[in-house]
Amino acid sequence: MSHDKHHGNDHKGGGHHFILSYKSATLVGLTLLVLTAVTVGIAGIDLGRFNFFVAMVVATIKALLVALIFMNLRNDKLENGIIFGASFMFLAIFFVLTFADLFFRGDVYWKEKGQPFPPIAGVVGKPKFKKAWNQTPEILAHGKQLYAVQCVSCHGADGKGDGPAAAALIPHPRNFHSNEGWKNGRKLTMVFKTLKEGIPGSGMASFATLPAEDRWAVAHYVLSLNGPAEKDSAADFAKIGVDPNKEDAGGSEKPTIPVAVAMERMAEKDTIRVTTIRRPYLMKEGTAEGVGAQIYRTQCASCHGERAQGGVEVKNLGGFPNTIVKTSPIGNVDSGRFQEVVLKGLPGDLMPGHGEFSVSEIRELYNHVRTLKQ
Amino acid sequence: MSQATVTHHHAHHFASADDEFEAAKQGMWVFLVTEVLMFGGLFVAYGTFRGMYPEMFHEAHKMLSVPMGALNTVFLITSSLTMAMAVTSAQKGLRSRTTGFLAATFLLAGCFLVVKYFEYMHKIHDGLLPAGFFTNHELTNPKAPLFFSLYFVMTGLHGVHVLIGMGLIAWIMIKNQKGYFSPAFYTPVELVGFYWHFVDLVWIYLFPLLYLVS
Ligand code: HEC
Ligand code: HEC
Repeated sequence: MSHDKHHGNDHKGGGHHFILSYKSATLVGLTLLVLTAVTVGIAGIDLGRFNFFVAMVVATIKALLVALIFMNLRNDKLENGIIFGASFMFLAIFFVLTFADLFFRGDVYWKEKGQPFPPIAGVVGKPKFKKAWNQTPEILAHGKQLYAVQCVSCHGADGKGDGPAAAALIPHPRNFHSNEGWKNGRKLTMVFKTLKEGIPGSGMASFATLPAEDRWAVAHYVLSLNGPAEKDSAADFAKIGVDPNKEDAGGSEKPTIPVAVAMERMAEKDTIRVTTIRRPYLMKEGTAEGVGAQIYRTQCASCHGERAQGGVEVKNLGGFPNTIVKTSPIGNVDSGRFQEVVLKGLPGDLMPGHGEFSVSEIRELYNHVRTLKQ
Repeated sequence: MSQATVTHHHAHHFASADDEFEAAKQGMWVFLVTEVLMFGGLFVAYGTFRGMYPEMFHEAHKMLSVPMGALNTVFLITSSLTMAMAVTSAQKGLRSRTTGFLAATFLLAGCFLVVKYFEYMHKIHDGLLPAGFFTNHELTNPKAPLFFSLYFVMTGLHGVHVLIGMGLIAWIMIKNQKGYFSPAFYTPVELVGFYWHFVDLVWIYLFPLLYLVS
């Protein structure tokens, strides 16, 4: 192929310039149409990740046919090829650098989906009780605390089934001072089961959102309100999937934080779609003051305290009536969780979501909260 | 056939008509580079958001009609073919044949826009609109409006190119009828051809990316 512009008389067309024959043009046109059919056909077959790959390869073959034959780049001067080719090179750089930044920078900070969340500090903390089905004064005290937060609204301060919300509930909440009417049975394992599964068709919701040891603790407490409960047999433990010879509180159950579980449920109901969040996220400690500090003061301090120390009591009107949750310090929350909680909020009326925040606003907020903890 | 002819004289700053042709062509390639980069920015935006919200893309793309998109692909590819044939005819000095192929190209481009019009009307009717204009209730994904922002901007910019292309094709068609072109001078036909093939080329990528998200 000659690139001599002054004497370009040796091109295949015989004349001055290359002339594409009608026949070759038609052939190329038909090939392009066949390739289009291939693209559409393949899209209908599930090849997983390869669908995209195949579609792009086919598109590129088509693009090359158009450029090389219709636009005659194959007989054109080399420099024109270089000029046009260079644009794709720049495009490739544009793509590679943008995507490298966007999709890999975050990995340093973001947890992959499926990793268990650490329990919420303050509300849960590390498991404190080994073999939580054995009653100790400590676990009983812990159960009493939890009862006051989680159960009082229905079962009443004294456990008589006469909490503020009780009147509206049919069937009425159980009176723990009586042996009557227990559906699952007045046994520790069965109360544990009730707390895990709830009682369908009644106001007794599942408390699976509480870590297992909390459920044991509150179960101990409600049973302590009346005479001794029935003994649990090995079969009872088996029913709830707990091996009483193992040390951990809930058998094979991992404590899940309320946030994660509730969000999963919302996802099931399709109200909020929880996807793996892989957002660009650059964290430089303590760089941004202004914006972060401002947002914190106006939007977060009322519930999390001036210095992010927590300890403020927040009413949850959404979940179970009038539960009160004390906020925990948020200075140490990891970035992934921080962004998730701030964007989506917490279920019920606990904490409002801030989907309107931009990534950089959240970043500044995060940096600010980190500086507060010192 | 070739009644009146207008002889083309190359501009005085070129050594020869061939030089002029080569310079014009190179200018066209450079222009197409800017086009690649303009559309390129949109493709990068597309890739970015698709990477961030793959599920949303999968859901939202189902609102586009594959048959319509495929039909339009056929129109554009065929129009590229007729354009190539128009250039061949011009090179061979077959004037009325050139006009015929150009007219066919023009018509196919028109068909493309008609289909696009119906697609747009349908999207508008269903509230599948960009960003804040989005009112569709079927798509629950909160990020779905983003897909339609990309859809309208990308196909819109491409559609504008089709429209401009039609204008250019009409223009060379008239010039051709007036006898401006000959085997010795057909630069505008070839260059409009380049432009038109490029428009086709962009669509070759737009179609699978927007309509066939897997
Ligand atoms: C929203 C109101 C509500 C809250 C909050 C609530 N309960 Fe209940 N609970 C009920 C109702 C209503 C019943 C009666 C269900 C029935 O009879 O079907 C019940 C029944 C029970 C029973 C009896 C199960 C059985 O075997 O019959 C236990 C044990 C119990 N609750 C424990 C608790 C504990 C512990 C908490 C706090 C962690 C709690 N509940 C919080 C409404 C509530
Ligand atoms: C209406 C009260 C309220 C407001 C306002 C509020 N939060 Fe919360 N937040 C809560 C409650 C309640 C919790 C759950 C209990 C806990 O762990 O502190 C929580 C939890 C969190 C957590 C998770 C803590 C953990 O251990 O996982 C983060 C992070 C957080 N909030 C950040 C913020 C930020 C940032 C703002 C301001 C944009 C904010 N919150 C505004 C009530 C609130």
